[in-house]
Amino acid sequence: MPTRNTSPAVRPEESGRAVEGGTKRERARHGAARRRGRSERFAPYVLIAPAVLIIVALRLYPLALGVNFSFTGDGDANGTAVGLANYLELLDDPLFQTALANVGLLVLLLPVAVAIPGLLATFIYLKVPGHRFFRSVYFFPAVLSPVIVGAIFNLMLSFDGPLNELLGTIGLGPVDWLGDPGVAKFAVVGVQIWATFGMALVVFLAGFATLDASLLDAARVDGASLRQSIWHVIIPSLSQTIQFVFVTTMIGMLTSMFGLLYVMTSGGPEGSTYLPEYYIWIQQGQMNRPALASAASTVLFLIMLVVGLLQISVLRRAGRED
Amino acid sequence: MKRTLWPGVVVLALTVAACGSATRQESTPTGSAAAAPASKLVVWDWKSGEPYAKTYIEKAKADFAKKHPNVTVEFVPQPFEQYYTLLGAAMQTKTGPDVMLFNGGGQIRDRADSLLPLDEYVAEDKSRLAGWEAFAKDGKTYGAPVTLQGHPIYYNKALYEKAGIAAPATTWDEFLANCDKLKKATGAACFALGNKEGIGPQFWLSGMGSGVLTPAEYDDWIAGKRDWKSPNVKKIFEMFKETGDKKLNNEGANSTAMFTDIFSVFNTGKAAHIIGLMSDIGHWKDFGEFIGPDKVGIMLAPTVTDGAMPSLPYDGGIGYAVAKWTKDPKAAADLVRSLTTTDALSSFSAEAGAIASDTTISAPQDAPVVGEIVAQLKAGKPALHVAMDSKTIDLMGRLSQKLLSGSATVDEAVEELAASDQEN
Repeated sequence: MPTRNTSPAVRPEESGRAVEGGTKRERARHGAARRRGRSERFAPYVLIAPAVLIIVALRLYPLALGVNFSFTGDGDANGTAVGLANYLELLDDPLFQTALANVGLLVLLLPVAVAIPGLLATFIYLKVPGHRFFRSVYFFPAVLSPVIVGAIFNLMLSFDGPLNELLGTIGLGPVDWLGDPGVAKFAVVGVQIWATFGMALVVFLAGFATLDASLLDAARVDGASLRQSIWHVIIPSLSQTIQFVFVTTMIGMLTSMFGLLYVMTSGGPEGSTYLPEYYIWIQQGQMNRPALASAASTVLFLIMLVVGLLQISVLRRAGRED
Repeated sequence: MKRTLWPGVVVLALTVAACGSATRQESTPTGSAAAAPASKLVVWDWKSGEPYAKTYIEKAKADFAKKHPNVTVEFVPQPFEQYYTLLGAAMQTKTGPDVMLFNGGGQIRDRADSLLPLDEYVAEDKSRLAGWEAFAKDGKTYGAPVTLQGHPIYYNKALYEKAGIAAPATTWDEFLANCDKLKKATGAACFALGNKEGIGPQFWLSGMGSGVLTPAEYDDWIAGKRDWKSPNVKKIFEMFKETGDKKLNNEGANSTAMFTDIFSVFNTGKAAHIIGLMSDIGHWKDFGEFIGPDKVGIMLAPTVTDGAMPSLPYDGGIGYAVAKWTKDPKAAADLVRSLTTTDALSSFSAEAGAIASDTTISAPQDAPVVGEIVAQLKAGKPALHVAMDSKTIDLMGRLSQKLLSGSATVDEAVEELAASDQEN
């Protein structure tokens, strides 16, 4: 308010001069200001143009093409519009249904995949004996490529492999880890968790760095057990970190299990370990059905879009809570 | 939400008009480009990088250079695991190679619309080479065979001697009895079966089929008239399930890879029989190195049905084809011919351990079983599974795993296969 009161005292003088003079110089200055105003208005667009162009040319346009292809046929029908035929075929294909069901399974197993690094990070934070050693050992698998991890576990889990031998010595029958459809999908998810939990562990440890130690001390003084400290102090304090790990683990499971599947099970046994991306690859490369693969890609894209939007809203809500 | 919606709107708008296609459509080549002779031919395969193919490639190149001194040839070896994925992508953009290696059967037939019919160029080679059918579709030839690929039933003669079996069985019952004897005397499983990739039933169908189907049924099957309601067709799958139920296979068959874990099961004497290959891998040469060349035997499929005529199932194995869009079809076809000369093929046969498509090459002396295989070629017939499309083959792989694990019955499997086969 005070500034508004003072400004009229200055303005009349200025405008008076403008009316009085009305010189070219004045008009030129106004024109320059207008131009400067216009260029300032356009500057943001110019500055974001490269990024927008890259996104449009390299992301949205191919995406649109892919979606477009999914409404055309394969083989003899190449290039002709077939409407929703590819999507209907997908819905009808038990293999694609399995792939989608497995996505659901991954979502269900997500809490396990988050709880494991969370618990281990808690133990490291609480300085269990050998915590320095474990901190580096736990991260180690994260630097291995999925192909190497897959090859290692192919040997470990083979029917006459060391794990079954170990089970044999304690009197348990051999398990066909990668040959039994009920077991194989859990085996692969287990290996995926083993291979990637190191990264989540590091994120958790970073979260612990922001944890107020006096809260834990206070809980300890009040006689809280370990379980109570975790439940009432650590989890509430780390809620944002936990949500972040949920989001990144979900994305990792949905998009980066191809290498493991390829090496460990090839989608088998009985097609039980198919995921949409593996299905897309098989249709495109092995079955010579690029249009059907485009339709499957579109479905996967939509799933990821929904999951991504849900996750963004979860993260936003978490941000507002603070 | 607003911010995340607009890309979706753009996508939808572009989608409404479903035009364009997933693979590039035909376009008429510009006149001058089509007429000018190619100065360079690019060849894709998964063989030319191997040491054993060196002499073969050199001989083929020398032969080609005599005919087309101005044309250079570049061989680009690709990893086999990725080969058809890479090739499929290259074909869609029409930037692919001029000449390319194919497996006979479904792989080349599925892509025949991108390939040049070779009939007018290879007419002279037709009688010298065998295995053309695997590279033909609708009466046109799209590739020239380099090797023959087939599925003999190999057996371990040393194990047979230990079990006191003088000669391989000729009937299925006798064969099962032999399996019992072998198990008791040597502890070896009857079959080495690697079905992780689901390839097992392909080998089984082709290896055992000629003992089960009548000759008429067999020929009809190859010709595309497949009677899935025939009790004999069902019998082949029943026998496959029987091997699982009676524990005739090595343990963990569904999690053992055909390529190449299973071959070591046979090589180490843990199984007495294996339905293997004739060329490249998992064949007489590999087995001979471990169990001794004179200990490797082949047998024909045991007879199950009266009137069945067991024969060696084989087809053209691998062969070179020419892309439709190559700038100089004559030169490319000549390169294919250079890659299938008697001289070049005899080098490949000897060094790679393959049964070459050239019927004028004599078998090597150090592997007696090769003589037995070659002797069977004349009466041999195309393999049953090669006649099927890749989608049905893929389905058969998954169903076979279900048959072994007991989660599907033979009736269900045959019904599903029939539906898939008739759809395509």
